[in-house]
Amino acid sequence: MPKKLLLWAAPLLFIGVLFYWPLLKIVEVGLSANWYEIYFESETLEAIWFTIWQAALSTLIALLIGIPGAYVLYRKQFWGQRWMRALITVPLVLPTIVVAIVFSNFRWIPAIPLILVAHVFVNYSLVVRTIGGVWSTMDNETEEAAALAGAGRLRTTLQITLPQLKPAIVSSAALTFLFCSSSYGIILILGDGLVQSVETQIAAAALQYLDLNKAAALALLQTLITVVAFSVSEAIAKHPIGIEQVDESTRKPMLDHRDWPAITVTGLAVVAMIALPLLVLLAKAFTFDGSFSLQNFLNLAGRGDRELLNISVWQATLNTLRNVAISASIAVSLGALVSYLLSRTHRTRRARFSNRTLDVLFLIPIGISSVVLGFGYLVTFGDGPLPIRASWLVVPIVQALMALPLVIRLIYPALLSIGTEHREAASLAGANSRQTWWHIESGIIRNVILTAVGFALIAGIGEFGAASLLAFGDQATLPTVLYALISRPGSTNYGMAMAVSATLITLTFTLVLAVSSQKPRRRVRGVLKSRR
Amino acid sequence: MFNLKKSVALFAAAALATLSLAGCSLTGEINKEVVVVTHDSVVFTDEVIAEFKKQTGITIKQIKAGDVGAMTNKLVLTRENPIGDLVYGIDNTFSPIAIESELIDGALEPVSYGDVCLNYDKAWFANNELAAPVSIRDLTKPQFKGLTVVTNPNTSSPGMAFLAATVSMFGSNGWEQYWRALKTNDVKISASWEDAYFTDFSGSSGKGEYPIVLSYSSSPAYEVRDSGDFAGESQTASILDGCFRQTEYVGVLNKAKNSDAAKKLALFLLNDPFQSTIAETMYVYPILESVELPKDWQEFAPSATNTFGDQLDIAANRRDWLSKWSEIIDVN
Repeated sequence: MPKKLLLWAAPLLFIGVLFYWPLLKIVEVGLSANWYEIYFESETLEAIWFTIWQAALSTLIALLIGIPGAYVLYRKQFWGQRWMRALITVPLVLPTIVVAIVFSNFRWIPAIPLILVAHVFVNYSLVVRTIGGVWSTMDNETEEAAALAGAGRLRTTLQITLPQLKPAIVSSAALTFLFCSSSYGIILILGDGLVQSVETQIAAAALQYLDLNKAAALALLQTLITVVAFSVSEAIAKHPIGIEQVDESTRKPMLDHRDWPAITVTGLAVVAMIALPLLVLLAKAFTFDGSFSLQNFLNLAGRGDRELLNISVWQATLNTLRNVAISASIAVSLGALVSYLLSRTHRTRRARFSNRTLDVLFLIPIGISSVVLGFGYLVTFGDGPLPIRASWLVVPIVQALMALPLVIRLIYPALLSIGTEHREAASLAGANSRQTWWHIESGIIRNVILTAVGFALIAGIGEFGAASLLAFGDQATLPTVLYALISRPGSTNYGMAMAVSATLITLTFTLVLAVSSQKPRRRVRGVLKSRR
Repeated sequence: MFNLKKSVALFAAAALATLSLAGCSLTGEINKEVVVVTHDSVVFTDEVIAEFKKQTGITIKQIKAGDVGAMTNKLVLTRENPIGDLVYGIDNTFSPIAIESELIDGALEPVSYGDVCLNYDKAWFANNELAAPVSIRDLTKPQFKGLTVVTNPNTSSPGMAFLAATVSMFGSNGWEQYWRALKTNDVKISASWEDAYFTDFSGSSGKGEYPIVLSYSSSPAYEVRDSGDFAGESQTASILDGCFRQTEYVGVLNKAKNSDAAKKLALFLLNDPFQSTIAETMYVYPILESVELPKDWQEFAPSATNTFGDQLDIAANRRDWLSKWSEIIDVN
């Protein structure tokens, strides 16, 4: 037990010092005596109500079109599947400013439906990957039996498959709900600044009025929303579900003509909702002075029209790569450690409760406004033991905080799925825990870690909130450069911004494809088979 | 399991190294470096930085702290232990807060100004054989119905400037009337300048639907075409009556760690060669009148003839105006 406590120290110290300390400090500085009164102002109530219903509706739509997507892209097999899986992941990691610019081209859709579409665009892959991951490893014997007994495919799906997928559905819904409820850039830009959510109210309070009381009180509310969403999903799902657990070893059936409803929904979603907006953006990147050209990309070597940028876009790319290398290392090493420790608890009720508490402790950062966190850093890390607020390191640190919950959601469930059986079997056979780890677990974990590295990297590449609040001077990252370029008139800068976006899309696509192309090792397959 | 331990040890070592690195950069060379806090749009060219180093031996380090509002609020929040030595770019919409919070050691000195004006697309008005508006008063006329896009004052600083201009022009009784008329005339509200200018405006690269947009009097200098009907001239122009003058200031921060260097830099920024770079890099007019403006500016981007803003206490009225405005435009 003391050894375990010692191991917990690193991740808890990390999140405690670099997240909860500044958060509590800004809450302490901000909250006034009658802070709770803010929750009863009609403006706040409306914002809270909008935040919740739009996030719930976005999540529902994402599920409705994501479940057929999971079926087509993970349960079945077809040529080009891997490419399509990579393509749908791109929106998840695009900076929200790019997503908003992309969807600004579809202004004939009214503001609020457009916000919902943009949210679904971003979170579609989260739903598809989580549900698809479970679906792809699920036994199909029951389904086949039902089919033999004459049940139609739709009925089989509704009555047999979906109930089995419930944990994955709930788990992905919770994460989608959290991302949508803390969405800022999309609501701000597509809502023309007229649509108020909790997050836009926080930004206005903190950045325009220096109303720290309101900002801090609403940040507390965001924490509550995260805890509630997590608890509800845990209560239904019973055990944690990973973002993607794919067992490529089993041969999956090819798509056939009876799959047409799922194919239609998925085809429409992928083409109209994902490929089309991305193509519009790519087309703009390759347009200069009204005709096809590579000029925008050539301009990236410079500093924009009239030296707008402190550094060239390529230098910003290097900054971004350096930041994500650091943030991904932190997120994956700490995430792996946390997952390992969480998975090694005894199955007592108390242990389960403390596990959940610890799990949600690491999840809260993704639901919290980056504006509030940024202000927390300013007041906490100016002097005292950790004067790091002016250092470039704060950006990768915050990126790591945001990537950590995703990493845990990838690795922890995978560790659980290994189960205790092998360990027990191995120890009966005389293997010590070190041998067990090395021979059995590390092989399975290796692939999951690789996916986690990929996710952590791409989550960092597109990160804008923390970078814009905390990246100083020559430390600009790709998304902040993008924002600087789009904030100025002149077609050169606009074209460069589009070229940066296109670069980000390509970078993400390549990374996802590279990570997913790793085939599981033979040893892994053996282990997985022996489970059945 | 052993390699997990190793990674923990590695992480701890990395964290320690990181912290000591950060510590060094904070304590070392403190007197040879001056930290200037700016909003995101402020540019110091390499030449300017080199020139200041040559004159004084001091290196300029720039900290971009968000837009003007975010920057001001960050400075207020950290006033006991400021994030820099001087501030560049606080404008007249936020300067009262800076003064009230006793942020500044001495006075705020004006360093540049920009005029927030409506721009129109000359090509669109030519094609539709319609005379362009000459004052913001015209925007409520029926022939301009559905042609104008402005930005939301809640979320955009030019939007706030325009709202203040209307308060000045139409008075505390008339401005709400004016905005109701604008709304009846189907004015479009966008969240940000970027969105309005690049997506909604017909005269920029976005080729949107609206030929009148809220922007700056300097913007037309950047819409000079190489070919077509407007070869060699700007496709857009400003409505010069009813603009808001945003004056930007530079000031040494109270409790600055390096206040001598900060004073030197403040003086340097008020003179050439820096003043000559302002128009080209920041799209605003230098305060030093002897500076010659770029050629495109002289031809296509005159500053406004009738500006508002100096006589208003925006900081004191912001909340009141915004809540009234939001009610008229019907937020949510």
